[in-house]
Amino acid sequence: MKKVACDERPGWRSYAESVGFEFHTFDGEPYWDETAYYQFNLRQIEQDLEEPTEELHQMALALVDDIIRDEEKLQQLAIPEKFWDFVAGSWRAKAPSLYGRLDLVYDGTGPAKLLELNYDTPTSLFETGFFQWVWLEDQIMRGKVPQGADQFNSLQDQLEAAFTELPLANPLYFASVANSIEDKGTVMYLMDIAKQAGLDSRFIELEQLGEASGQLVDLDGYAIGALFKLYPWEFMVQEDFASVILSSQTQWLEPGWKMLLSNKGILPLLWQKHQGHPNLLESHFEQPGQSFGAGWVRKPLFSREGANVELVTQSGEKISEPGPYADSPFIRQKFQPLPKFGDSYSMIGSWVVGNSAAGIGIREDNSLITKDSSRFLPHIIVD
Amino acid sequence: MKQKVLKRSKKAALVLMVPTATFLMAGCGQEEAVQTAAFETVDQCAAYYNPEQCKADLGQALTMHTQVAPKYTDKAACETDFGVGQCETPAQAATAAGTEPPAQASSGGFFMPMMMGFLAGQMLNRSGGQLKQPVQAQPLYKSRDDRSTFRTATNTPVARGVGSTYIKPSSVQPKPAGMVNRGGFGAQAAKRSSSSSSFGG
Repeated sequence: MKKVACDERPGWRSYAESVGFEFHTFDGEPYWDETAYYQFNLRQIEQDLEEPTEELHQMALALVDDIIRDEEKLQQLAIPEKFWDFVAGSWRAKAPSLYGRLDLVYDGTGPAKLLELNYDTPTSLFETGFFQWVWLEDQIMRGKVPQGADQFNSLQDQLEAAFTELPLANPLYFASVANSIEDKGTVMYLMDIAKQAGLDSRFIELEQLGEASGQLVDLDGYAIGALFKLYPWEFMVQEDFASVILSSQTQWLEPGWKMLLSNKGILPLLWQKHQGHPNLLESHFEQPGQSFGAGWVRKPLFSREGANVELVTQSGEKISEPGPYADSPFIRQKFQPLPKFGDSYSMIGSWVVGNSAAGIGIREDNSLITKDSSRFLPHIIVD
Repeated sequence: MKQKVLKRSKKAALVLMVPTATFLMAGCGQEEAVQTAAFETVDQCAAYYNPEQCKADLGQALTMHTQVAPKYTDKAACETDFGVGQCETPAQAATAAGTEPPAQASSGGFFMPMMMGFLAGQMLNRSGGQLKQPVQAQPLYKSRDDRSTFRTATNTPVARGVGSTYIKPSSVQPKPAGMVNRGGFGAQAAKRSSSSSSFGG
């Protein structure tokens, strides 16, 4: 694994905009960054990333059964009691799941370490599945990367297959919050793939979702049979329509049981069951009054984009990211520094579609905490 | 020669996100009318279709009746549209149908027209063949000023009297009626939006 400087494609920004990738630059800072790429060999991809991704995924799925039968665990994960049956029911009914992303620390050698599971509302999907793919095709054509270069990225093929094969109601609605172009972009991409898979995909702003006689309805008042929501379960269960989740016949993507796996509390539960596993970092639920020392990271059960994460490095340096998620319990995770390439720290997002590993996307940040402002860089495989 | 197995997608095409997509999608909107039928009773239905299916369809229509019928807070307003003595409460509808009255608080305190018939859904013909018919079985109503025409809960006329009729499936897609609440999701995003542009992660 190495980072290689590379010429940008001329005119890539206007191309990005023409395919709806409007957030390639965010607040004047680059988000999509093709001034360099990461290069892996096939063994690194297959043995160090693909296989552990699928193994960790199976370990996570196996925990769902344990959790839904254990009130203590449900409480540790701060799942509202009112939703216990809903979550368990969705699991027992094998409610289909589309996708998830595991965030991994990996520097090219040694076992990748799991930082967390983004199993409810993972993003950077379009950048990974589409834009990075097109970047490689373009750069092969222009001779800027080695001929025969490949990419660990079957994301779009696998998503299309999932939309074709999963037992989903049609039409399938897609919702994201009104004021996020990034979330809208992710949802538009999924709608596009769903359409190619033959589904009637329809967008509705999350805030415009309606309720009539206990059923979730669209703008015309028609019942929503299936809804992909790019909005966290832990928010939905606290909001005015929480009871509609329980009464509506809607099929949810991601399904209710994903509430358990997108929760940082899954990390201590994984550690308890598989202590010492090479791909896991030691993790514990935070005890009241517990001191917080060198070599540990503190994360809320519910947070995204690095918000409310604090860490103390081995040498005692404190780094923290503010955020709006201080209202949930915390976990502690052993600090595993992200590898540094040049001036930047990089993290690997490893995708799962259904139960298969489906590719990676790399995020870079100037800090040890990866945030929503982190840049996205493409990668290649050369063997 | 050994074919190298690639780790990336074979294609990455977009159809909706690119401007030219509108051309590709044009011409998909022609919807064919399909044959279905309106009935007042299972016996009428059984003259056309499999009797078990008829019973199931009537049952589904009765269940949907309370959910989809137009709702009025005032009995007189309901009777203006549907005729004197033609409106009922959900509890009366449940008693008439011999089902449990709806438990939700939101279903009390209003009036709705009585169900006058039902639209047949996915049916077997009498020789046992499946009729391809993407229409959902549902309750039918009659307005005060037009007692011969069966209408859906959304006031779409579907049949003049009992028997076969041709309709476009999209015109009879049922929907829960009236009193739609909106804005019940998104409050947490609004509350926490100062620090993040995205609610994915």
